[in-house]
Amino acid sequence: MVDESTRKTLSSIPLLQTKAGPRDKELWTTRLKEEYQALIKYVQNNKTADNDWFRLESDKTGTKWFGKCWYVHNLLKYEFDLEFDIPVTYPTTAPELALPGLDGKTAKMYRGGKICLTDHFKPLWARNVPRFGIAHAMALGLGPWLAVEIPDLIEKGVISYQEKTEQTK
Amino acid sequence: MAPSTDWDEIKRLAADFQKAQLSSTALRLSERNCIEIVTKLIELKLIDVIFTTDGKEYLTPQQLVKEIKDELYVHGGRINTVDLAKELNVDLSQINNSVSEIIRGKEVQLVSGYLIAHYYLEKVAREINEKLQLQGQISVGELTLQYDLPAELLQHNVLEKHLGKIINGKQDPSEPRTFYTEEFITRTKAKIRGALMGLLKPTPVTVIVNHCNLSDRLFLSLFDQLNAPGVLTGRQAGALYVPSCYTKSQNDWVMSFYKQNNYLEYDAISRLGISDPKGYVKRIFTNEDLTFLSTCVIGSQIKQQLETALEECISSKSYLDVVSLLPSVLTDTDIENVLDGLLKKSKSTILFENTVFSNHYIENLKQACMPMTKEKAEKVVKSGKYQQFYMEKQLNKASDFGSSHVDHKAERREERRRKAASGKGGGGTQGRETKTKAVKKHARSKQTVQDSDSDEGPSSATKKSQAQLEIVSVDDVENIIKETLENEGLEDLLTQVAEYLQGGLNQIGLTIAKETADKLLQDASQNRKQTHTSAQDKINILINDIKLYEKGIKSLPSDQQPQFVKYLLKSLGGDVLTEFCKYAANQCNLSVQGDVLSVEQRNKIINDLSDEFTKPIVSLNGTLSDQNMESFYQAVDVCLSEFGMILKKVDKKKDKLLIQNHREKLISELESCEEPALSLHLAVLAIFTIVTQNMLHASGRQVPIVISYLKTQLKEEDYERLLQWHELVTKFLTSSDENKSEFEEKLLQELPALKVMVQEIKKYK
Repeated sequence: MVDESTRKTLSSIPLLQTKAGPRDKELWTTRLKEEYQALIKYVQNNKTADNDWFRLESDKTGTKWFGKCWYVHNLLKYEFDLEFDIPVTYPTTAPELALPGLDGKTAKMYRGGKICLTDHFKPLWARNVPRFGIAHAMALGLGPWLAVEIPDLIEKGVISYQEKTEQTK
Repeated sequence: MAPSTDWDEIKRLAADFQKAQLSSTALRLSERNCIEIVTKLIELKLIDVIFTTDGKEYLTPQQLVKEIKDELYVHGGRINTVDLAKELNVDLSQINNSVSEIIRGKEVQLVSGYLIAHYYLEKVAREINEKLQLQGQISVGELTLQYDLPAELLQHNVLEKHLGKIINGKQDPSEPRTFYTEEFITRTKAKIRGALMGLLKPTPVTVIVNHCNLSDRLFLSLFDQLNAPGVLTGRQAGALYVPSCYTKSQNDWVMSFYKQNNYLEYDAISRLGISDPKGYVKRIFTNEDLTFLSTCVIGSQIKQQLETALEECISSKSYLDVVSLLPSVLTDTDIENVLDGLLKKSKSTILFENTVFSNHYIENLKQACMPMTKEKAEKVVKSGKYQQFYMEKQLNKASDFGSSHVDHKAERREERRRKAASGKGGGGTQGRETKTKAVKKHARSKQTVQDSDSDEGPSSATKKSQAQLEIVSVDDVENIIKETLENEGLEDLLTQVAEYLQGGLNQIGLTIAKETADKLLQDASQNRKQTHTSAQDKINILINDIKLYEKGIKSLPSDQQPQFVKYLLKSLGGDVLTEFCKYAANQCNLSVQGDVLSVEQRNKIINDLSDEFTKPIVSLNGTLSDQNMESFYQAVDVCLSEFGMILKKVDKKKDKLLIQNHREKLISELESCEEPALSLHLAVLAIFTIVTQNMLHASGRQVPIVISYLKTQLKEEDYERLLQWHELVTKFLTSSDENKSEFEEKLLQELPALKVMVQEIKKYK
């Protein structure tokens, strides 16, 4: 299902322990801390592997996240905005990652730019509640999706390289 | 408060997160990029790196050196460069480059593809030491196999370097590739000693070595240090070990045999296993006076024995059979050698085969043959054979001599001489050859003959070339001595002795013959001298007579003279010539038969005479028919001077005496004469002599002339009587047989009257 490098990446992200949603006042902070720690670890891992591919930040409560993600194809970097909310049923329900910039441009996307994750992701996530967090969702969901869709889109000419995006880096 | 701290913490974590995201990413390059970059850099020569063989890694040379050193250590100090290349995934050439770097230091060396560190060698040395202690002996060869290292390296860098430090042992001085421990040597020595002690007879070293399980070399090197009870015959592997007890028993045997028998046979000695019997005997009997022969050695005792026997033989004037005195093992040549040595000292013996004869004995035999020899020699001389032989010899010599004289050109002469010499030489050898052939069967007698040859020297060689006259034959000698020898049981030596004697006897015979011949010659020469004087005398007398007769002739009428002169020359001149001829013939060794020579005989002699005599005699012969006294005298003078004779001066008184003598002689002859014609002749001559006081030489035919001459000098009656006589005589001579006796009677009656008349005439004159 998941390729070897993904599995390796995944194993390097620390698993979470606390099962708590935004509604659980005390426990959510704990969960949030764990989320942050996992993300930091993941980012660090990516950086050391020269595989940095996103920027992410959240609001104060940690329920709303936004940032950027990019994909390098043929030595050109294609950058897209990224946003998602922590659902109330979180962590039982996986967050719905969205790339608004690509809304309507591909079939594998819901309205509002939410990406259509594979059939495999959801059962995998479900099996790993509460151990999987945001970092896992990024690595297992968005990463593979980008790797499959972006070259296809570029091929179709749906998206084109923009100097501007380069500048943002 | 707790929640606030939680949120603070979350805030802080968010900040951390941001920080982590914003921190610069490590710039990771892909492999491809890396390879490209590195290739670029290498191209630009900005870095110096080495690829691994799979191309996935780069190494700096320093790293490689370090890794090689590490590998070397890991492998215990020894590693193959090829293995190294596999191990380090680096190309072998790169390894080799680095290796050269590494071995620049002293601690590591490259030996036939192996990198070897010094600690490895030390380790090897320790191992070798252990092995050496275990085995006692170790050779580099084995070690080479075991360690797969070059012998050179093992020997010099391992064994010799660590000998005495790590390795406890010794290097074999004679074989540097072998090392052993002291204990091993001692052990081996003991082993060898034991083996050598046990041996009783000569044994090849190989056998000993195999038995003791040693190496030849070790055995030989240790043998010297052992003081073994015996000796080695050589240093090679094939040598024999001869125990001293064996040698001793050998020596004992030889000694006792020698003591007992006083001789030693080489065969017997070599049967004892002694390879050089001569040298061996010399070594053992250094003080003995030994004689070495071809098959054996004999001691002085035998020689002395022999010597005494010889002395005895000489003193007893007998012979000695040497074989009975010498050991039976001696060969003929040996016996000869022994005897040669002994006989040299004493000359009074002669050797035939193995029997020594004293000279006396031989001399006796010789004496027995002497009469025969003498007889034969004389016979030879008498038969003229010797002279003939001698003459031939002389002639040959003379011809040789003459030929070389004729030539005046020195070169030619030399050439010819050379030729002659070579010819002579060839003849000489041929002559000798024939001689040796005759005696070839008997080696010894041949030798003696040759000895005598050499004594005579080369000058005799030419003489020898002419066949020797054999006076005494071998058979003759054999016949004489046969009995003597047979009595002694020496028949088998008969021929040899005979041949030996024959040589000497022949010489004696020759000398006897020579003497005899010389004697004959001497006699002849004495005769010659006598003949010389007698011939001279005779000639003198004759000449004198002739002169006297000539005087007589002068008193005759001159017209009658020539006939008388003719007759005178013919008769008396002929006599003179005859004398000359006789003398000359004598000088030339021509035989002359009879006293009176006929004209033919004379001529024959003249032809046969040698040149010096022929000429004057021929001229003299010529004058005889010339009727000229002067030329006759001249020719006679020439002859005389040529023959070394003198004509004595004529003594007048003597002449008278001669005439008287002649007259008396005529008268006495007349007295005794009964023959009428001769009586008349004598009477006429006598009367003439009486009347004229001169002598007359006339033939019967001239008698009438003389009578007519006497007519004036005689009384009438005497003349008449003479005339009457003459007539009677002529009648008597011319008459037939019937009347002859009648006349003879008459004449005989008248004869005394005639004689008386002569007497009377003599008286009154």
